[in-house]
Amino acid sequence: MPKVEAPVEKWRGRVQEVRLGGDGRKQVTVGGESTLPFLHFDGEIPHRPVIAAEVLDMPPADWAENVVSAWGDALKSPAAWAKKAAQLGADLIFLRLASAHPEQGNTSGAQAAKTVSQVMEATDLPLIVVGPDVAEKDNEVIVAVAEAARGQRLALGTVTDKNYRTIVATAMAGGHAVVAQAPMDMNLSKQLNILCCDVGLPKDSLVMDPTTGALGYGMEYALSVFERLRLAALQGDAMTAMPILCHAGYESWRQKEAKAVEGVPVSWGDQKVRSLLWEQMTALTLLQSGAEIMVLRHPRSMDVVRGVIDRLMARQGPVS
Amino acid sequence: MKTCRVSFQPGGAVVSVSEGTLLLDAAARAGILLDMPCGGQGRCGRCRVKVESGEVTGRENIHLSQEDMAQGWVLSCTARVVGDLAITVPPKVERDRAIVELPSARAAAQIALHWPRYPALRRAYLELTPPSLEDNAPDLERLRRGLRQEANLEGLELDVYQMRELGATLRQDNWRVSATLDASGPGNRLVDLRPGRIKGPLLGLAVDIGTTNVVAYLVNLDNGRLLGKASRMNRQVSCGEDVISRIVFSQREGGVDTLQNLAVDTINVLVKELAQAHGASPEDIGDMVMAGNTTMAHLFLGIPPRYIREEPYVPTATHFPVCTARDLGLAIHPRASVYCVPSVAAYVGGDITAGVLASKLYESDTLSLFLDVGTNGEIVLGNKDFMMTDACSAGPALEGAGMRCGMRAMPGAIEDVRISSLTLEPTIKVIGDVPAQGICGSGLISAVAEMLVTGVISKGGKIDLDYVLSRQPERPRARPGESGPEYVLVWAGEAGGGTDITLSEVDLENLVRVKAAIYAGIMVMAEKSGIPLDTVERVLIGGAFGQHINVEQAIQIGLLPDLPWDKFHFLGNTSAWGAYNILLSKHARSKVEELVAGMTYVELIADNSFMNEFTASLFLPHTDADRFPSVAHLLSR
Amino acid sequence: MALTAIEIYKYLPKTNCKDCGFPTCLAFAMKLAQKGAELSACKHVSEEAKSALEAASRPPIRLVTIGKDGRKVEVGNEVAMFRHEKTFYHQPGLLLRVKDSAAPDKVAQEMAAVASYKVERVGMQLSWNGLAIQNDGGDKAAFLAAVKLAQAHPELALVLMSDDPDTMAAALGDPAVAGRLPLIYAATEANWQKMAALAKQHKCPLAVRAGGLDALATLTEQVAAAGIEDIVVDPGARDFGDSLNALTQIRRLALKKSFRPLGYPVITFPGEKASSQEEEVLLATQHIARYAGVIVLDHFSPAMAYPLLTERLNIYTDPQKPLQMQAGVYPFGKPDPASPLLVTTNFSLTYFSVSSEIESSGFPTWLMVVDTEGQSVLTSWASGKFDAEKISKAAKNFKVEEKIGHRSLVIPGAVAVLRGELEGEFPEWKIMVGPREAVGIGPFLKQNWAR
Repeated sequence: MPKVEAPVEKWRGRVQEVRLGGDGRKQVTVGGESTLPFLHFDGEIPHRPVIAAEVLDMPPADWAENVVSAWGDALKSPAAWAKKAAQLGADLIFLRLASAHPEQGNTSGAQAAKTVSQVMEATDLPLIVVGPDVAEKDNEVIVAVAEAARGQRLALGTVTDKNYRTIVATAMAGGHAVVAQAPMDMNLSKQLNILCCDVGLPKDSLVMDPTTGALGYGMEYALSVFERLRLAALQGDAMTAMPILCHAGYESWRQKEAKAVEGVPVSWGDQKVRSLLWEQMTALTLLQSGAEIMVLRHPRSMDVVRGVIDRLMARQGPVS
Repeated sequence: MKTCRVSFQPGGAVVSVSEGTLLLDAAARAGILLDMPCGGQGRCGRCRVKVESGEVTGRENIHLSQEDMAQGWVLSCTARVVGDLAITVPPKVERDRAIVELPSARAAAQIALHWPRYPALRRAYLELTPPSLEDNAPDLERLRRGLRQEANLEGLELDVYQMRELGATLRQDNWRVSATLDASGPGNRLVDLRPGRIKGPLLGLAVDIGTTNVVAYLVNLDNGRLLGKASRMNRQVSCGEDVISRIVFSQREGGVDTLQNLAVDTINVLVKELAQAHGASPEDIGDMVMAGNTTMAHLFLGIPPRYIREEPYVPTATHFPVCTARDLGLAIHPRASVYCVPSVAAYVGGDITAGVLASKLYESDTLSLFLDVGTNGEIVLGNKDFMMTDACSAGPALEGAGMRCGMRAMPGAIEDVRISSLTLEPTIKVIGDVPAQGICGSGLISAVAEMLVTGVISKGGKIDLDYVLSRQPERPRARPGESGPEYVLVWAGEAGGGTDITLSEVDLENLVRVKAAIYAGIMVMAEKSGIPLDTVERVLIGGAFGQHINVEQAIQIGLLPDLPWDKFHFLGNTSAWGAYNILLSKHARSKVEELVAGMTYVELIADNSFMNEFTASLFLPHTDADRFPSVAHLLSR
Repeated sequence: MALTAIEIYKYLPKTNCKDCGFPTCLAFAMKLAQKGAELSACKHVSEEAKSALEAASRPPIRLVTIGKDGRKVEVGNEVAMFRHEKTFYHQPGLLLRVKDSAAPDKVAQEMAAVASYKVERVGMQLSWNGLAIQNDGGDKAAFLAAVKLAQAHPELALVLMSDDPDTMAAALGDPAVAGRLPLIYAATEANWQKMAALAKQHKCPLAVRAGGLDALATLTEQVAAAGIEDIVVDPGARDFGDSLNALTQIRRLALKKSFRPLGYPVITFPGEKASSQEEEVLLATQHIARYAGVIVLDHFSPAMAYPLLTERLNIYTDPQKPLQMQAGVYPFGKPDPASPLLVTTNFSLTYFSVSSEIESSGFPTWLMVVDTEGQSVLTSWASGKFDAEKISKAAKNFKVEEKIGHRSLVIPGAVAVLRGELEGEFPEWKIMVGPREAVGIGPFLKQNWAR
């Protein structure tokens, strides 16, 4: 008789499965776990966490040099960029319609729809499409995109408690899912989920963005929010059970620890190494706290994080 | 399908309807329009009729007691005809009473004296032997002797001013005098000495100084009877609506004096009113007990309260020296003693300790939750083994302040609202027989509960303009207003003030914050003690506010925990009630001192748990719907 | 299992005597439940109650100290599976492994690099804890030589790694190690009696290594029976998946099943199975977040040390403190000197709601965030942490006047009362009262700054 009985947790709940991608194209399903991240001995993990490449509809203005050079000319067009991301092994494209921002070009809904079509021609990966985070422009461009990509089951965003009625209705009409963002608080995420579902959004059409903090910039709070959401879901709370999207790329590369080459202490070390670790460590920590869709920026990070996911998904035998 | 005959009394109308018809449809066929503010959803209980004979289905409803059902009462919006029936429709007045039977109006307990009557203030009528050459003891000695011999009172204390008048007073009515003495201290302090026999009773005053309202009770100390009650808005409100604003104001030059005077002015107006109403003179009031929160006590006594506000939130004192009315400028007998009920901490004051005294929570095995909701919400959890307490800042919304259309619970205030689920038209109940002028705290709770249940607002407290427009295309009650969307409760034409009475999203947000703070305060206490909330056997609701709220609706918005209604008990103004007991019994006074020492104060901002619970509660009824199963059930329909 | 405040209270005298320094027995019980007080503060508690309470408060994971003074590693005594439940208390030690098979000057160089490394973050000096010295080739002399090199860095915590008891005995007897209380690595099924004897003799903590939890628990019980209390365990897991499983199960067994044979801190070696340096760092990252007590890496460079130290700091931050934003002046959009200036507090949720409204308005704006110790606008105003004086001090610190051409400041509507005070503090400024709720910021900006 074994001396140590493996302390297995049997959970009542399960993470909601969400499928993205249209018919005849590549599809991705996330969620469905009945255990905490990568703890195969407790329950099932039917779908591995996926990696989304962050793509902008305009060349990025203030990205770190080592990211820009890694993507090269692909940055000049969203279609080329997405295509390269697909070649590099991304599971999804996270397309940010940055040019629709009133200060960045104020491009129209029609332009957004055109961009999305071009990206969809360049790759058959599923798409997450978000506006410039300016309420009125978000509504304009997302409505146009939802119409143009009817039936392609995009994830549209960003839904907040201010604008959820419009974007949710638009998404439902076009057969899409949404990404719902709440400011780093478990209860606020759950409240937004309830509000979206109360206006008729099916539970399998919602991805949560509980807000990401990068390493050194509130990562531990994001971690606890993710963990609390996931624990509640496994305890049977359907309103916290939606899959989690995490912006490890965007949040990490905003920080000077990732960007700064000069004028920083010697003890920070080589920026090329440090910046990648900043993104990868944020990603890994939050994957292990419950993230299912990890949005990354640097090709190398996509590669390394995928390798680690592989190793974590390889089923381990019992420890004892 | 079977056809049934249904007859209605009074009037004797008879209609034939098919089996399964709702009683309300049958009544409509007979030309009887039943009052149905909830739109026939079985929520308001106002369409009750009595089945004199015959059978119906769908008798059960939360608005009917077992006894009601045994008598044949049903709600016509849920009961269906299954055979021939004889129905009695109660007159309209009766129907209104049906609303009043809702748990909201479960009669508040009467203020009662729990202790042997033993007031600190005593009066003795003395007929002293006049001095003579044989008995030439000094006047004071003679008075002492008289008190000792005729009234068994030792240890007379008096001051030099009283002594200056003593000789003349004693002689004025030939050595017949009435002496009023205060025995709250070690000796007997002379409060008043007058020639002859005083006819009127010995009077005392119990005062509850709330942040928003001040209530005074005039008490006959001779027999313990409550002679009258008067209340007014605290005049300090002009210097800030909540305690923090008052404290900020007190830090101005002369601020403490201004606030002290305003508190005293408020009380003096009440004293005048009460004295006039009862044919007494303010000077006849010889003793006073004051209960108020810690800041109110500081300001009433003129003690700067600023350190209450600053971390780590320490008041100057929780126990206050007994002083005299003259010290404070009170227009009662200048030598009347003024006792302030002691506080527990900066934000749990004498109003709460007085309330705990009145509630008798401390003498029972039963685990009780005591709530006093005013501008602050204070919570006590305990029984005879322990008591713990915390306090949260609620804001003045529940007292009708801080909202554009808010008002105190007085004639003209909307106190109950029902919204039809079908038409989204509200039916309101106004205090007094006057047109509506505004909405008070209980009306606000009621309105928000109804708006939630009928879908006018989302669980996030936001008005759904599109939905209201879809139901009311002609004249929608929800519209974009100056400060965001608003809902019109009363159109200008029907309102007393000539303008629309509205609730805006800002008002709603305000209420949601208030209820969230109170509910979070309750939850943190349960969490810190390790006592699950559902083991609470009684919820005792004190404070002036508690008398009018509807438990069902307060649960619907998540203000009160979702416990069975029979666990809720309304105690009325427990602060004043406690003060009344202390005024009438020295035993009660020593008990309250003992209670204070045994109450454990929980600081809510010491860690994250309050903030966490608060955010979870900023939703209707709550982010965790499982905590409000009865409401979740209602909303799922 | 931990007792609730009310359960503890039942054992206390209930006299409210205040001798313990708390106002009531229940207040004391609540502090005990939070592990914020010691039972010994109550002089009146009965013996019976004492034993009941002490049993309940015994730490489920042994607190073990490696090294003395300096950068000693103190690990164990954790009470939570997830940091939000309470907090994680004792940061895992981060150490670099050097091997005695390497060239001595290279070893010395690596040791010096670890010893001299310092980095500052949020006002704290962070550094690497120490070294693990491995007897790689089985040569005693080489091991002793490597150990001697550590004498140059007496402040570093040490792990001595050799499975040979003789070699270990020699190293422990060396003056370079004397009094430094290194962790002895490791007792195994083959050598545990001798290793336990050494640990006892030198009063050092002892690592116990076995493959799998069953074998490990058997071995720790034997070692414990031999009188060793300070144990660190190594379940032999080296990869991402197996170490996540093993460390999670060890923590669960200790906390949830009170399983004492595994109630010890865990040592890990993230470099052994890593296919790149990035993977090594990532596995160390996993170990920081998931339950390791001592983490021995095989590489060291500033570019990896800094993020790992930051990770450790993050994971071990007390979650009971509200999330605070760094105070400062934040630009939104691309504000110029004519753009509006708003002020708010550094409570994260306040900041998030204000910043998201500014962002979604699309208006280029400056937002000044004042340090209110993580309190919201009304709470911090109520407690005097957000007043005219604090705001004006912040404005001076952040050199607002250099960034901004105009002289108007928008304050939150909820603290409109501050306007008067602020006009006193900022005589030449125009103080504008903004909306009460963040939702109103967009319309407010449009109305007042329309072009």
